Amino acid sequence: MPFNSDEPKPSFQPSNKVKVMSKPMPPPSRGGSYMGQPRSGGTSGMEGSMSVNSIMTTKEKQKYIEDYNFQYCDEASKYEKIAKIGQGTFGEVFKAKDRKTQKKIVAMKKVLMDNEKEGFPITALREIKILQLLKHENVVNLLEICRTKATLSNRYKTTFYLVFDFCEHDLAGLLSNINVKFSLGEIKKVMQQLLNGLYYIHSNKILHRDMKAANVLITKTGILKLADFGLARPFSFSKNSAPNRYTNRVVTLWYRPPELLLGDRNYGPPVDLWGAGCIMAEMWTRSPIMQGNTEQQQLTLISQLCGSITPEVWPGVDSLELYTKMELPRDQKRKVKERLKPYVKDPFACDLLDKLLVLDPSKRADSDSALNHDFFWTDPMPCDLSKMLAQHTQSMFEYLAPPRRPGHMRPHHQQAAVINPTAARATTSSVESGYQDRVF
Amino acid sequence: MGCVRKRFLSSMPYWYYEKKELKDTPSFHDGIDFETESRYRKEGARFIIDTGTKMDLGYNTMATGVVYFHRFYMYHSFKTFPRYVTACCCLFLAGKVEETPKKCKDIIKIASELLSKNKFQTFGDDPKEEVMTLERILLQTIKFDLQIEHPYSFLLKYAKCLKGDKAKLEKMLQMAWTFVNDSLCTTLSLQWEPEVIAVALMYLAGKLSKFEVVDWAGRQPNHLRWWDMFVEGVTMDLLEDICHQVLDLYSQPQQPNSPDSPPMSLTSSTKRELKSVPIVAQPIARLSPVKPIQPIVTGAKLKTDLKSQTDGPGLPPTSVDVVPSQYSYPPGVTSYTNSSFSAQPFPQNVPLQSTSNSSSYPPSYPPSYPPAQANSQYLPPSKSHHPQPQQPPSSQFYPASQSSFSSSYQPQ
Ligand SMILES: Nc1ncnc2c1ncn2[C@@H]1O[C@H](COP(=O)(O)OP(=O)(O)OP(=O)(O)O)[C@@H](O)[C@H]1O
Ligand SMILES: [Mg+2]
Repeated sequence: MPFNSDEPKPSFQPSNKVKVMSKPMPPPSRGGSYMGQPRSGGTSGMEGSMSVNSIMTTKEKQKYIEDYNFQYCDEASKYEKIAKIGQGTFGEVFKAKDRKTQKKIVAMKKVLMDNEKEGFPITALREIKILQLLKHENVVNLLEICRTKATLSNRYKTTFYLVFDFCEHDLAGLLSNINVKFSLGEIKKVMQQLLNGLYYIHSNKILHRDMKAANVLITKTGILKLADFGLARPFSFSKNSAPNRYTNRVVTLWYRPPELLLGDRNYGPPVDLWGAGCIMAEMWTRSPIMQGNTEQQQLTLISQLCGSITPEVWPGVDSLELYTKMELPRDQKRKVKERLKPYVKDPFACDLLDKLLVLDPSKRADSDSALNHDFFWTDPMPCDLSKMLAQHTQSMFEYLAPPRRPGHMRPHHQQAAVINPTAARATTSSVESGYQDRVF
Repeated sequence: MGCVRKRFLSSMPYWYYEKKELKDTPSFHDGIDFETESRYRKEGARFIIDTGTKMDLGYNTMATGVVYFHRFYMYHSFKTFPRYVTACCCLFLAGKVEETPKKCKDIIKIASELLSKNKFQTFGDDPKEEVMTLERILLQTIKFDLQIEHPYSFLLKYAKCLKGDKAKLEKMLQMAWTFVNDSLCTTLSLQWEPEVIAVALMYLAGKLSKFEVVDWAGRQPNHLRWWDMFVEGVTMDLLEDICHQVLDLYSQPQQPNSPDSPPMSLTSSTKRELKSVPIVAQPIARLSPVKPIQPIVTGAKLKTDLKSQTDGPGLPPTSVDVVPSQYSYPPGVTSYTNSSFSAQPFPQNVPLQSTSNSSSYPPSYPPSYPPAQANSQYLPPSKSHHPQPQQPPSSQFYPASQSSFSSSYQPQ
């Protein structure tokens, strides 16, 4: 996962904790201990009574671990696997049922530990920390973390699962099914919930950094949940201090905003709003609107839609690391509304898209202003999705869906085959799984 | 006395214990007496700090590791899991959680340098595998409750509100900071929230550095003490208890059967004085009622006039006369308080290598073990001052598990 270790250390404190006064006190500049320092000598005495041989042998310890009842960490076997519903870099995702109630349905995301030289992956720790912090209707809910029992057969290596409330669909799955039709009011409801979720996580100083349709879940009752915080991280605004140096190798290429493609490392919430704009357009086009094969090509596609990337429309862009290294198409006119109008008939929708797909991140709409856009406050008003979803009795996930044919926006990019891990993943997996997951 | 505890966070594992629960541990049931367990905890904590300091880890990382360590041994015995392996594992995990990751093999390497051969043998034939296996056990034991708050941030927060001579305030804060460092060697983090520990140790530092807090920002008429603004129901009894748990670290009696537990580096007469000096010179009753929660006022709204140093009504007499003037405790405080604050690294001013002829803690490292230098990473880096958001998100955005305690101190 492209989460570089060269990233600055985020202070993972909910930001409301310490109030910074107008004139901050300098922190104590010295520290240490009043306790004495180690003196030479002495390894005798009590140490002898706790010598090596009084400590458990490996065998005894294995038995201890096998028998120990970790009261705070339930066994994964309390759930019964029903179907595999996802596969990512981080691990497999299963749909499962609580054995005891036979009712509660969950999604279990396996923590892949196989090729981890440094133990429990730091990416998984991040995801867990962030999910524990975020509790909101429009954010996927982490229920618990389960373990498999350490036994001889697994070489006493516990496997961990993140257990979530189950959501019946993901947006990529829904959009790839032509039988699923969203009315304008329903699209508004989807976008409103998505922006609500973003508003919440950004208020908690978390960047999602992997916005895409497959990471947007929707329950059968039509509640949208942002999912997959595997790339998320806390952020801070660097006003006077040194600029942040986040990795720019985040976000699936097709949803990656221009500032990341140009090597910005001091980015913020606008990166997620670019993704929100891409997803919004996809509600009508039904497939990702800009499917570049390379970062260069993605920038070209963006320029063709949003106009040339210049310091005139985006002051300061010329100071970004890759600005001179990338080939940026010149004299491109901005055609967001013009090119999306054939799909997106509603003028308010076009206008909101135009405000989300803005090159300059500082001018891009934030979730708050997007939520205040007329799009959400004019007829038809956002309306409940549950009726429409009730017509579909199958779960729809990207993993289970046939690969989405990138046909709709064809005229605007030349490449024939879409080569992208996401698409490739969907292709192979639907072949090998071969089942359709029935939910209701 | 327990009224400030986070009892209401029922969804989270409860990580705070009564004193008698702390004596009823898996180790105790395994035949390890309380004093020995305390010493193991202290040595483990100290080892985490020493290893972390050598690796340039920050104070938050080390403190998080130490809290994991203490929590771990509420569920397992020191006989099952040797303390230095656990300590390494806790530091390893804390490094990742606090976004300051260190390679497991590097931690083990430092450990092998710091520990005697005998002690390093507890890591077995494959030390890295030993730590990796233990990490999985640690994670399950602490219920993936990874994010830990420490008193440090609260010290800074409180200090910002206190009025008075700036240099004296900084000295006081510095001393409190050091007490918090040392408090990691106690089980205080298993007893009280970081807010309470911060209040207590700042109070102690105020007494010892003779910084009398007479006025503070955001003071309300019903505030008798500055900490009434931040914590509720903290009695003087409680403060004294917490302070003494830290002070006891410096006065561990020499146990004849336990050369591993060194005596403190003070002279015995100082010790006697210390023990007999009540930290609290004020009857408790006047201060115990629970105060209504008051908003924390930000600096912008502060009155700028500095109140005179006279004791206001309801404030105790200054402690100066209670504390002997030749008060030489903690070691080095005198020279330290006289020194220029921003000049030398702390330990150069403080005779940590005690001048007394008694041995000091911990003695169990091999002779090669270097005297700890106050590593700058162990100190609050200035970059920890993240600019705050213009508009703090409304408290509804903070899940109960993370914020309900602190949010009760937020402006309404
Ligand atoms: N709670 C859930 N309910 C239903 N399906 C889920 C749930 N969580 C995840 N999924 C499905 O599993 C897929 C993969 O999950 P997720 O995005 O969290 O992991 P990932 O893509 O493997 O992670 P990463 O991007 O870090 O590699 C999702 O696209 C979705 O289809
Ligand atoms: Mg995903």
